[in-house]
Amino acid sequence: MAPRGKEGGERNRSARTAARPGPAWRAHRRRREARRTGAAAMLRRGGRCAAALLLRRAASGGGQSQGQHPGQGQGSARPQPLEPSLLRFLVCPLSKRPLRYEEATNELINEELGIAYPIIDGIPNMVPEAARTTQKKPPAEGSKQP
Amino acid sequence: MAAAGLCPCRALLTGRGGALRALCGSVRGLAAGPETHFGFQTVTEAERREKIYQVFESVAKKYDVMNDSMTLGIHRVWKDILMHKMNPSPGTLLLDVAGGTGDIAFRFINYVRSARERQLQRKLKNHQNLSWQEISESYQEDKFKLLGDSQVVVCDINKEMLKVGKQKAQHLGYSEGLSWVLGNAEELPFDDDKFDVYTIAFGIRNVTRIDLALEEAYRVLKPGGRFLCLEFSHVSNPLLSRLYDLYSFQVIPVLGEVIAGDWKSYQYLVESIRRFPPQEELKAMIEDAGFLKVDYQNLNSGIVAIHSGFKL
Repeated sequence: MAPRGKEGGERNRSARTAARPGPAWRAHRRRREARRTGAAAMLRRGGRCAAALLLRRAASGGGQSQGQHPGQGQGSARPQPLEPSLLRFLVCPLSKRPLRYEEATNELINEELGIAYPIIDGIPNMVPEAARTTQKKPPAEGSKQP
Repeated sequence: MAAAGLCPCRALLTGRGGALRALCGSVRGLAAGPETHFGFQTVTEAERREKIYQVFESVAKKYDVMNDSMTLGIHRVWKDILMHKMNPSPGTLLLDVAGGTGDIAFRFINYVRSARERQLQRKLKNHQNLSWQEISESYQEDKFKLLGDSQVVVCDINKEMLKVGKQKAQHLGYSEGLSWVLGNAEELPFDDDKFDVYTIAFGIRNVTRIDLALEEAYRVLKPGGRFLCLEFSHVSNPLLSRLYDLYSFQVIPVLGEVIAGDWKSYQYLVESIRRFPPQEELKAMIEDAGFLKVDYQNLNSGIVAIHSGFKL
């Protein structure tokens, strides 16, 4: 009895809310309008260029909001170059020779062995396993390179 | 196929002597390296390095909390005692190896900062009859040298620990005179004769080749430089030893599971403490690396010991 009554009440309620514009109905109307003016709708109407423009705008907008987060992480590495004081101390752990700081790739390069140590988040990664070979010269110690 | 052959080898290894070990070592693979210990297990060097890396990777975020709960906050006192023993003056260059979360580095900066302030105050007291010009000049030049050219480089092999340390530094406001490097204690990326003090607090236990780490420490220190090692050691008092064992094996792994969600890492921790050489043996190893006037100080009757040596 009670459940049936509840269902009936719910049906009545939905009928009642359909008469008066409630929040659900407003959302539904918004969705309908979006569908009408969305990219798919534009395509349907034949404006392929306009649709492409919309999609690109959406991508750049989404990309911007996404780009902020990795951008913040990368931005902290880019304007955070290696402290010059640290550069005084650092040498290659393998050959104990001085390194050259490469700003473009943010790496510390050992010319003799032809290897480069990355700098991640402002922390130089001075483990031989992390070093990559630079293309110019063949590595002297092939076994130690990753 | 190879694994099936390995399992009986491993069983033999844990029991038998050197000859069998060598045989199985050659069967196993030459690149993995000689056998060593990981807690109470026997593993190859490469495996041990990998396992220790994983241990600290997983505990990094809860490292400080666990330290406080396991030692009931006493680790802070131990580190303070180490700092007082070091007694750094402004202008000291410190290399803190395995100093992941930066405890020693921050204490160093605080100590040097207050030493510097006292230095400046003393200078001002002595300069009573200065003209206004001289006073303003002295203020200007001292403002930029709050630390007095002291610097600390924190070196750790684990990226997660360094990340936690860097965040802590930002949070607590330490920026000047502090640098972070990812490096291996057995192969330090630093030039010879560079640092005034080398510390390794609760880290040398996790190094696979302690002799290499000690040699590297000797290399990077300036002549007259000091080597300081703070580490868990062996308790001589039998009653305390039994209580300590009980606490280590029954309480600490449980705390590890409850707080950090990692029983195995803390089981490794207490086992590695038992496997670590005792005070006298470590003193001999430090002397072998070339350090002179090597001595140790027991804290809490041997639970922790500070070993000190000089490069002369």
